[in-house]
Amino acid sequence: MSRASRWIAIVVVAVLALLPFLPGAVDAYYFSFLFFVSLYAVMAQSWNLVAGYGGQISLGSHAFFGLGAYTTAILWSGNHLWGSLYDSHPNIYYFDPVTMLLGGFVAALAAVLIGLPLLSKLHGDYFALGTLGFGEIVKVIFVNGGDFTGGAFGIVAPASSFDTLRPHYWVGLGLMVATALAIHALMRSRYGLALIAVRDDEMAASANGIDTLKVKVAAFAGSAFIAGVAGSLYTFYIFHVGPDSVFDLDWMLLPLMMTVVGGTGTLLGPILGALVMYAVFDLARIVVPDYHPVISGLTIILAMLFLPKGLMRVGKRLKTA
Amino acid sequence: MVNLPPPEILLQLSLNGALGGAMYGVAAVGLSLIFGTMRLIFLAQGAMIILAAYFVRALFYGLGIDPFLSLLIVVPVGLGVGWLIYQGLFRKAAAEEDRNVSLLIAVGLMFLVQNLMTVIWGGNTAGVVTSYTASGIELFGVRTSFTRSMGFLIALAGTGLVMLFLRKTIVGKAVRAASEDMDAATLMGISPHRVNAIAFAIGISLAGAAGVAVATTFPFNPFAGFIFSLKALVALALGGIGNVTGALAGGILLGLIEAYVQFFISGGWTNAIAYGVFLAVLMFKPEGLFSRPYKKA
Repeated sequence: MSRASRWIAIVVVAVLALLPFLPGAVDAYYFSFLFFVSLYAVMAQSWNLVAGYGGQISLGSHAFFGLGAYTTAILWSGNHLWGSLYDSHPNIYYFDPVTMLLGGFVAALAAVLIGLPLLSKLHGDYFALGTLGFGEIVKVIFVNGGDFTGGAFGIVAPASSFDTLRPHYWVGLGLMVATALAIHALMRSRYGLALIAVRDDEMAASANGIDTLKVKVAAFAGSAFIAGVAGSLYTFYIFHVGPDSVFDLDWMLLPLMMTVVGGTGTLLGPILGALVMYAVFDLARIVVPDYHPVISGLTIILAMLFLPKGLMRVGKRLKTA
Repeated sequence: MVNLPPPEILLQLSLNGALGGAMYGVAAVGLSLIFGTMRLIFLAQGAMIILAAYFVRALFYGLGIDPFLSLLIVVPVGLGVGWLIYQGLFRKAAAEEDRNVSLLIAVGLMFLVQNLMTVIWGGNTAGVVTSYTASGIELFGVRTSFTRSMGFLIALAGTGLVMLFLRKTIVGKAVRAASEDMDAATLMGISPHRVNAIAFAIGISLAGAAGVAVATTFPFNPFAGFIFSLKALVALALGGIGNVTGALAGGILLGLIEAYVQFFISGGWTNAIAYGVFLAVLMFKPEGLFSRPYKKA
């Protein structure tokens, strides 16, 4: 990153961070819009780590998102088994960083447990199919979780904690910046180089002494950790965590789409993709409310037909030409 | 220890499972063909099946055409639509190195078709009720509905025709060659775009045939297709990816597993166990349960 672009990035982030102090900003429409963009950008970044940089197409992001969301919901508001412990003071765990990190850790743990067998045995499309199957299994387990997970209805968190959208916004922005910085640093380290080597030629990487399984599982777990923390943040926003909402396939498909539209394997592509695609969806939702999913489908097809390499690489092509 | 139920019940369970599973099977055959040549997981297949079901329903209630007779319309239309879908949407993406692109086009197509159906026909559950919908057949003390048996026959006939096409015609041979090794096939003078388009045309016309079976048997809604795509994927993995008869057999096996799990364990766990089997097969027998070495179809 050049010096100028670094300064631009710092200024943009600072302006965004100070935005909530602007009078009326918190109640404005664009405030929740920006919150959702940051949430999706984090999810897109998570997918980009394992699929864009690691070359392992995962179709199970929604499972890790949901695991993080459920972990936070259960720790924060309790469930039917131990709910009474926390009922008296639910606000303690509202935006508790430990609760959020635990959401990420549970997702990462699940990723290691499923990633070890899957990644050692399956390659390419088979891995993608395996993660898709894994996501469906996790969902069924949570539907059948009885009192521990609240069954098909899920868990309702104490909505009384809600005061303003400001903390959501800041945490979302912070997560977006933190994941981008972490991935930037990671990709400049030995580990990042190893990951890219595995993506480009697994056999050559392994011949050069890279433990390919370890690298792939670590990327999968890191991606799951990010998705889990994002799920955790979503719990603080939605207050009702149910299998159909947090394990919805959209939590995998939309970030995947945003990443590809923005530019797979680029640092800012997922953020740009999240911004552009969420804007398109939201605009469609406002302008043609009855047809907006049709427009979304069309947008995906058109973007893939005309921008298969992603927005980030449009500029690059112009520069080299 | 589980007490085994009487044999009539076991037989009935097996029959219900097999008949239901044949529907997954015919969806899986289409997926298998498309995956074979393009290496694309065509997630929109289920949506195409439901689209065909709505089309059959419109033909029945609008023009009074019998659902099974409408096969004569739906299957050729499916061939044309499949050809057009490939030429219009996937032709460019098929040449891309990055296969995410075609996967995402399939996802976009799924969103588009699902929601167009919602706009046109509404989101409510629909069905086709004919004079014979309620009639049943009884054989050796086992009962089944007429429409389900017809669905099973359609699945068998569809798979059989595809098999004949692949085995006996020169174009079918080209499709098989392309599924085995696209680069080598291209060097032999086979046009990748042509075999891809043929695979798509046949895949979508099979979706049309499956749509007839679905329309006459089950109530359906615009979003019912996705679960079909997932089940078809499981069937595909059970049968061995790229193996056409295996895909049908995998569908029937999946139907049997579901029927038994529902009966012996609980309906709530059906999907988890089906996907568990799917993962286990992917990991330990990725070539499928029915594959024979050195002989692919």
